[in-house]
Amino acid sequence: MTAASAPVLTRPVRAPRRPVLAGGRLLWLELRHNAMLWLLPITLAVFWFVTYRTRMTTAPLWYARATDLQSGIVPDFIVPVVGAGAWMGSREARRHVTDLMTTTARLRCVRLFATWAATAIWALVGCGVCVAVVYGVTAHQVSWGGPLWWPVVVAAASVVAFSALGFTAGVLLPGRLTAPLVAVGSWFVLVLGTELIRGSQSYWNILPVVSGPWDNGQDPGVAIFYPFVPDLSIAQIMFLAGLTVALLAALAVPGSGRVARSVAASIAAAGMAAACTSVVLTGAGTMDAHGMIAIPALHDAASDRPIRFTPVCSSTAIPVCLNPAYGRYLPAVTAALAPMLGEIVGLPGAPVRVSQAAATEQQEAGNAVIIGLTGPQMLAGEYRMLLPVPGGQLNGPYFTTSQLVGQVRDSIGPAVVASFVGAGSGASAAQQAVAAALSWDAGMPVVTDETGQAPPCSGTRCGSGTASSLQRGSPGDAAARRFAALPLSVRRAWLAQHLTALRSGRITLEQLP
Amino acid sequence: MSAERVAEARPALASVSRPAWAPGLRLVWLYAISRRVPAALGALAACAVGLRIVLIGHWNASGALLLPLIIEAGAVCVVSVSTASPLGEPERVAGRSLPWLRLGGASAMTAIAVGALAAGALGGHLSGGTLDVLRNVAGVTGIGFLCAAFLGGGLAWTGPTAYLIAGVYGLYTPWHSSAVTTPWLWPGRPPHDLGAAICAGLVFACGLAVFALRGARDQVGE
Repeated sequence: MTAASAPVLTRPVRAPRRPVLAGGRLLWLELRHNAMLWLLPITLAVFWFVTYRTRMTTAPLWYARATDLQSGIVPDFIVPVVGAGAWMGSREARRHVTDLMTTTARLRCVRLFATWAATAIWALVGCGVCVAVVYGVTAHQVSWGGPLWWPVVVAAASVVAFSALGFTAGVLLPGRLTAPLVAVGSWFVLVLGTELIRGSQSYWNILPVVSGPWDNGQDPGVAIFYPFVPDLSIAQIMFLAGLTVALLAALAVPGSGRVARSVAASIAAAGMAAACTSVVLTGAGTMDAHGMIAIPALHDAASDRPIRFTPVCSSTAIPVCLNPAYGRYLPAVTAALAPMLGEIVGLPGAPVRVSQAAATEQQEAGNAVIIGLTGPQMLAGEYRMLLPVPGGQLNGPYFTTSQLVGQVRDSIGPAVVASFVGAGSGASAAQQAVAAALSWDAGMPVVTDETGQAPPCSGTRCGSGTASSLQRGSPGDAAARRFAALPLSVRRAWLAQHLTALRSGRITLEQLP
Repeated sequence: MSAERVAEARPALASVSRPAWAPGLRLVWLYAISRRVPAALGALAACAVGLRIVLIGHWNASGALLLPLIIEAGAVCVVSVSTASPLGEPERVAGRSLPWLRLGGASAMTAIAVGALAAGALGGHLSGGTLDVLRNVAGVTGIGFLCAAFLGGGLAWTGPTAYLIAGVYGLYTPWHSSAVTTPWLWPGRPPHDLGAAICAGLVFACGLAVFALRGARDQVGE
C-alpha cells in the first residue's frame, strides 16, 4: 500500500481506553519506587529481634501466639510504615514537581492513591510474611485448635491505617522533618495511650496494640475452654478502617471541584463517625469471666458456650488430664506431679484423677485481675487444677516449658497434698504437719497460704518444709519430721486408718506416729 | 544602577573594612541555612517542651522510662535529618572546608539536642538523668549520621527509629525472664554503665567521622 492509496481519515483515531490497565501500570511503577520496599528488611529484622525471637519461646497455643503477633506487629511496624508513608506522601513537594504533576492526565487524588496503595501493599506484604512465619511454625508445634484470624486482621488493618496516617501527613505537611516526626510521634501516642489504660473499660483499649486485658500477662487458659471473643478486635478494625477512610478522603478535598470536595468531605465524616463510634463501644467493654474483653453491642452469646474437647490423660495410677491444647506438656506435667501422687495413690480419699480446669477471671482496680477456679476444687473425686499463670506486666514474662513444669511441681503438687489431708484454711496443726511431711518426702515445698497454692519454689523453700506455719523447731515441725522419717508403708498404713479423723481435725500433733 | 555608577562605587566598597572572621561566619550561616538548621532548632525546642510536659505526669515504671526515650529519639531524628543538603554532589567541589563544617555542624547540633533535653528535664524527675540523655542521644545520633552517609540525609531518620524500637525492647526486658544485657542496646542499661557508654561513644565517633569525611549521600533537589 502506498501513501496515495491509503484511506483518508475523516476523524481522529481515539486510542482505546483501558483505565484498569493504566491504573495497574501506575501502581506497578509506584511499587517499584516505594520507600517501604527498602524499609521492609529493617522492619522484618526488628520484628525478628523484638517479637519473633522472644515470643516463639512461649507455649504453642493459638491464642497466645495470635495475640502476641498482634501486639508485636503493631509496635514493630508503626514507625517504619508511618515514616515510609510520610516520605512517599511528601515526595512531590520534596522534589518540587507538584506543579509539573498537576499537568499530567491523572487526577491528583488518583495519583496520590496509587502511591499510598503501593506503600500499604508493601507494608501488608511485610505483615503477611510475619504472620506466615509465626503461624506456620505454630501450626507445626500446636497439638490442638486452629489459628485465630481476628488478631491478624487487626494487625493488617493497623499497617494500612499507619500508611494512610503517614501518607496524609506527608501530603498535607510536606517537609524534611515530617516523616521522622510523624513516625516518632505516632509511636509516642501508642505508648502514651497504653500508659493511660485503666481496666477493661478504658477507651484506650481501642489502640491496636491491645489484644486483651492490658497488663494481664499471658494467661495460658484463655480461649481454650471457651471460644475467642472477637469483640475488641471488631471495634479495633472498625476504628482503623474509619480512620483510614477519613484520612484518605481528606487527601481528596484540596484541589478538587465542589462536588468532589463535598463527596470527599462526606466520606471523611463517615469514617470519623465510624472511628468515634468504635471508641465509644470500646469504653463499654468489660472483661468477661474467661479473660477476654466483651463489648455488649458487639457480643455474640455463642462465644460464652464452652468448647467441647476430649482431654488427654496420662496412663498413671492417678491419671493427669490436660486440655488437648496442652497435650505436648502432658509428659512433663505428669512427671512433675508423680512424686506427690506417689505419696497418696491408693489411699482412701486420694483423687481419682487430676484434671486441668477453666479459670474464672475478675477485673479489679486498675489493671489488676483476680484469677480463680471455675467450680469446686474437688468434683466427684477429681482434683481440678489451674495451670499456673505467670504474673508480670507488658505482656508478662515468657512462658516456657521448664517454667510451666517448675510451677506445676511447686504450686500444684503441694496443693493436692493439702487438699488430700484437708490442710486448707483453718487447718489443724496435725493436718499441717502431715501435709508438710508428705510434701517434704516428695521433695516439694510446703503449702503456706490459705488458697491452697504454695509460692514458687526458691532457695531454701524447695522441699525443705520450712513453711511459715511450721517454724523450724516448733512442735509442728518436729511432728512433721518424725512423720516424714517413717517408712512409706508405715505412713500409708497410718493414713489409711486415720485419714478420716485427720481430715475432720480430730487428730492432734501428739497422736501422730 | 548603570555600569558607570557600579564602577564608581567599587573603590568605595573596597575601602569598607570588614572583620576577618566575617566570611567564615557567613560560610557557617550559609551552611546552616542549607541544612535548615533554624527549623531543626525549632523542632528541638519543641522536643524539650514535650519532655517537660511528659515529666509533669506521674507514670508507672515503664512510662517513666519509655516516654522520655521516645522524645530523645525524636530529637535525634531532627539532628540526623539536618545533615541533608539540597545541593548534592556539586557542593563537594566548592571548597575544602566542607568536612570541617560538617564536623562542627553535626557536633553542635548534637550538643544543642542534649542541652535542650537536659533543660527540658529541669525541675522534673527524668529517669536516668542527664547522663542517660547524653549517652542515648549521642549514641543514636551516631547511627543517624551513619544512615545519612549511606542512605542520604533525608532518610537518616530510619536507623535511629529502628534502633528506637530495639531500645524500647531493651528497656522493658528487665521485667521479663529474658532480659537483654548487651551494652550495644544502651538504652536498656543503667546510666552509669561503662560498657554501654563506651558503645554509644564508639557509635557516635564512627558516625561523626564517616559523616564529616563523606557527607550525606544526597541528590540535588531532594
